[in-house]
Amino acid sequence: MTDMTETGAGSEVVPLVAGPTVELPGSWSALALLKNLFSRTVRASNHVPRHVGFIMDGNRRYARKRALEVKDGHEAGFHSMSRILELCYEAGVQVATVYAFSIENFKRSPDEVASLMDLARRRIRQITENGELTDKYGIKVQAIGALELLDADVLADIHAATERTKNNTRATLNICFPYTGREEIVHAMQGSVADHVSGSEISEETLDSHLYTAGQPPLDLLIRTSGVSRLSDFMIWQAARSGVDIELLDCLWPEFGPLRMAWVLLKFAFRNSYGAGASLADDDDE
Amino acid sequence: MTMTESQPVNTKFTVSDSDSSATASGSAYHVPPPATSRLNGGTANTKTRSIQAIANTVLTDNRAGKLADGSDSASNKSQVSYVGYTFYKTLLAVMFFFYGMFRYCQLQYNRCKLKIFDILNSPSNTPQLIRQDVVKLAKIPSRLAAILEMKPVGDVGGGLHGLLNDASEVVCWTISAGVKHLTLYDHDGAMQRNIDQFRNEVYEHLSMYYGPDNVPNYAVKIPHYNQVFYNRKDSPVPTDKHTKVAIEVSILSNRDGRQTIVDLTRTMAELCSAGDLEVGDITVDLVDSELKQLVGPEPDLLLYFGPALDLQGFPPWHIRLTEFFWEEDNNQVTYSVFIRGLKQYAGCKVNVGK
Repeated sequence: MTDMTETGAGSEVVPLVAGPTVELPGSWSALALLKNLFSRTVRASNHVPRHVGFIMDGNRRYARKRALEVKDGHEAGFHSMSRILELCYEAGVQVATVYAFSIENFKRSPDEVASLMDLARRRIRQITENGELTDKYGIKVQAIGALELLDADVLADIHAATERTKNNTRATLNICFPYTGREEIVHAMQGSVADHVSGSEISEETLDSHLYTAGQPPLDLLIRTSGVSRLSDFMIWQAARSGVDIELLDCLWPEFGPLRMAWVLLKFAFRNSYGAGASLADDDDE
Repeated sequence: MTMTESQPVNTKFTVSDSDSSATASGSAYHVPPPATSRLNGGTANTKTRSIQAIANTVLTDNRAGKLADGSDSASNKSQVSYVGYTFYKTLLAVMFFFYGMFRYCQLQYNRCKLKIFDILNSPSNTPQLIRQDVVKLAKIPSRLAAILEMKPVGDVGGGLHGLLNDASEVVCWTISAGVKHLTLYDHDGAMQRNIDQFRNEVYEHLSMYYGPDNVPNYAVKIPHYNQVFYNRKDSPVPTDKHTKVAIEVSILSNRDGRQTIVDLTRTMAELCSAGDLEVGDITVDLVDSELKQLVGPEPDLLLYFGPALDLQGFPPWHIRLTEFFWEEDNNQVTYSVFIRGLKQYAGCKVNVGK
């Protein structure tokens, strides 16, 4: 995406949030160089997922495990997310979709809902206002989901925050807030039905074009952390398609760093280089 | 409700019809069904083909521009120096080489593991043993689903017969485990088309498990055609409504997935233009109740007998909270996958809303 000579020269990547694990001066630029090298190499395979979905599960458990406050767990999760997104966009992923708030979350206690809302709101502002990530990779940040369920002031806030990046075209970050996959399907059905009244045939593409992710490349890779093997109502329409790679990882989200993401990308590239997803498991079967 | 009554008329296609319409309306990103790619020449020469594929990626770049839909990467490519390009390709080859070595070890390790599991869990066609395994579990799913694949005809356990054999085995295990509802899915609908053979095959397997005089009653449903069958092909239809069936098997195919949701949308659109329904009336609850009637309820556990999870167009509405289970690098329908899936399910807790 970025011109090679340009980024080759100034490949210093500034972390979005100062990491708690900086040990040596200069270790960041070394890591950035490595990341740059890896991204270009993976990109050379021409098998980078175009659209990646993330279910970022395990922030609270991480906090409990480390005896941190829940707030700090979420903070660590956010830090992890920004570093992973950076690697993804660097490697050529066009769209990333993250699950920030489920409609089901409204069932929780009002206090918790309020704090989750507040958190998601601050996150969106943090990403867009900081600007380093969004400017460097030309990311358009948008909130998708049943936005009408949000309070007016939250909505206005999000609108203001995403406005800043609306002219970016190279990549997209979808923040699902508040979202469920079933609601998305129903939303697409409503849109298709409304269009039909003006006289048109309904097909799978019609529904596709009324999804929240309309016009974006199809989902290639879906990652869920914390060892739970369920989709929890995230992108069910997209993930059920054949050929979508679903990775269920047995680590908590804040532990899922760029290194593991790199491994997943390598795995994806390797698998897809074998054409038609032919698996190694097939040879010398007895 | 009027909607469901008009639905069967709307969805009455023959199998071949729906197939062709699906291909015709295939999106720009159409992924061919797994069976077609799998049936292309079997597995005999995979190693050679793998090497060719790698060589192609590394040496000739026949996929240029595919990555970023042309524009970006194409302009990039022209600017990137040949040296840089070769450098990254070489690095990629090295990386793939090491990953490939790792992958090979992993594959062997997984194979060994699966073999050991197979030895540890062998049902030897006895319902009592399966029952014993299941009784220990804290909970069992009330609805089970399995995705099956037709393997190339040349392979062991391949072709239609292999598929039906696998399906009947799963039915027997499910009955023995005491689960009352089973959903079997295959992408191309081969089981739906050969439903009579399927029923007979299930009967044969059940008589192996339970003895020929003791075969439990079973019902086989094809929700898409709104058909229900009882027991094997020539068995009399039970006139008594109270005849208890030990299991209810629903046979689904790709047609029951997104296409059924599209059909439902069409029906709703017609109702809307006739003024019988408002767009605002289309809610998650309404769609859920309609799809429950058209396809069936959501399964609790979905077993996949392939090497890496691929949902292959399984009905998307029905995988909301479904637990998935598959064994990495496994390629066979074995009892150990089944029982380990049930064990995983017994140990999991579901919390809605994370």
